[in-house]
Parts: sequence; C-alpha cells; structure tokens
Amino acid sequence: MRFLIVDDSSTMRRIIINTLTKLGYETFLEAGNGREGLDRMGAAQVDLVITDWNMPEMNGIDFVRNLRSTPHGKSVPVLMVTTNAANADVAEALKAGVNNYVVKPFTADTLKEKINAVALHA
Amino acid sequence: MTLATASVVDVLVGATTDVFETMIFRQLKAGEIFWGHATRPKSQIVGTVGFAGSSTGLVAFHASLPAARDFTSAMLGIEVDEEGLPDAVGEITNMIAGAFRTRMAAFQDAWAISVPTVTVGSDFYIKPISTGDRVIVAFHMDTHELFVELIITPDAEAAV
Repeated sequence: MRFLIVDDSSTMRRIIINTLTKLGYETFLEAGNGREGLDRMGAAQVDLVITDWNMPEMNGIDFVRNLRSTPHGKSVPVLMVTTNAANADVAEALKAGVNNYVVKPFTADTLKEKINAVALHA
Repeated sequence: MTLATASVVDVLVGATTDVFETMIFRQLKAGEIFWGHATRPKSQIVGTVGFAGSSTGLVAFHASLPAARDFTSAMLGIEVDEEGLPDAVGEITNMIAGAFRTRMAAFQDAWAISVPTVTVGSDFYIKPISTGDRVIVAFHMDTHELFVELIITPDAEAAV
C-alpha cells in the first residue's frame, strides 16, 4: 500500500511514517501542503492519503475538495490527522470528502484502526 | 472577569501531559503554577499558537535546548540536530494548543487557532499588551523543567 502524507511539519510526517513502518507499511510519498499533495497525486499511484488540516498555502480541507474533483483522487481513501477535533470540525472535514479522522495526539493502534476502516470501504 | 480559572488550567495541564505521554512516551509532572505577568520562564526555544473566538490569546510552550533535543529524540526515535528542533517544538505546541482547544470546546464555541510559530534565543520574554489573564505552569520531565503559558483575554482585543 502506497501512502501520501501531506503535512507542513516534517516532524509530524516523520512521526506518521515511523508509526506506519511499525505497522508494517513500507511505501510513502510526502508533501508539505495541499498544493504539493495534488502534484504528488497527479504523478504517482497512491492508495491512501493522510493529511493534516492546518497548513500554509493550501490547507487540508481545500486539498481534499480539490482532490475529489480529479479523476485519480475521486475515490482514494483520505484520513485526516489533526488537532481540530470539535464536532463542527469533524462535520466540515467529512463534508469536504474526508473518509475518517484521527485526532492528535494519537496512538499507533488508533491509526491502524482508522486505516483499516477506510481501506475496507475503498 | 477571570478566564484563566483553576479549572481552565487543569484542562491545559491535562492536554499537555496527554501529548507527552501519547506522542513522546514521557511522563510529565506538573509543578508550580505562576499567576500574573511578573514571571518570565527561562527557556531557549518557545513555540506559540494563537487562538481567537469568544476569547482571544495564545498558548506558549517553553523549553531549554537540551530538553528540546531530549524530547524530540524520544518522539522521533532519532537524534535531532538544532536545525530540526523548531519544527518539532512547533508541532508539540500545535498539539498542546489543539488538545486544549478541543477540550475547551466542550464548554464554549471552538476557537480558531493559528499555525505555530517558534522563537529560538535566550534573552526575551512574551509581554502581553492587553489586560488579559496570564498563567504559567511548570512541568518536570526527568531532570528538565518545561513551561506552558496561557494568555487569555475576554474579547477580540489582541493578547500580545
């Protein structure tokens, strides 16, 4: 499974990659904001997208909205990993096209559970 | 009206210890709480995240460089040089402020929060220009002392 990880923090990208590696996954692409994420999506096959919400240039919500309007991004599972966890945040993310939601701080078990849930419905 | 009440500080302490235990695998012990504007925590790297809404202010996370190297290495599983520390401190501040915002949203409308900014240096302090509340909580992680600061004002006037 190839993951695209979209986050402006290189620290958080590293944490997510470390966690996914522990879970047995091996292939990762990285992007520092939504615009870079769209570029990566257009250039390579991606099986699951993990994106932050608050990012400069193009945030996670706009990234997902744009992604859903492209042929290659219409049906790819998207997991949002963010500190924005108020009910209104979750509703906005789901409306934008996010499939599931992980709230920071998170454990490896939580990430695994959410990946399995979105992959099941892909 | 006092906004930085003891129960709000409890929420901030809970958010901070949760971030350290879950993402950094380190236990934090909350120590002394400093109320008011006189205290200037000694630190060399400070992350700040602003918030706005029904109240306005910021959350700041203060650490020494040795402490930042220690918890960043624990979080990432690799040694990190000084260039990598601001991003890590920014992300930790983002998680503390985000967890605080989420928990506070159980009692009020959720704040909008900013992306984090990080300052590195030793001879500076955060000076609020508003009449808002200010509280600083000291935490102990092994031999290191860390600080989390909350500045909060009741309306949209600038906190700093």
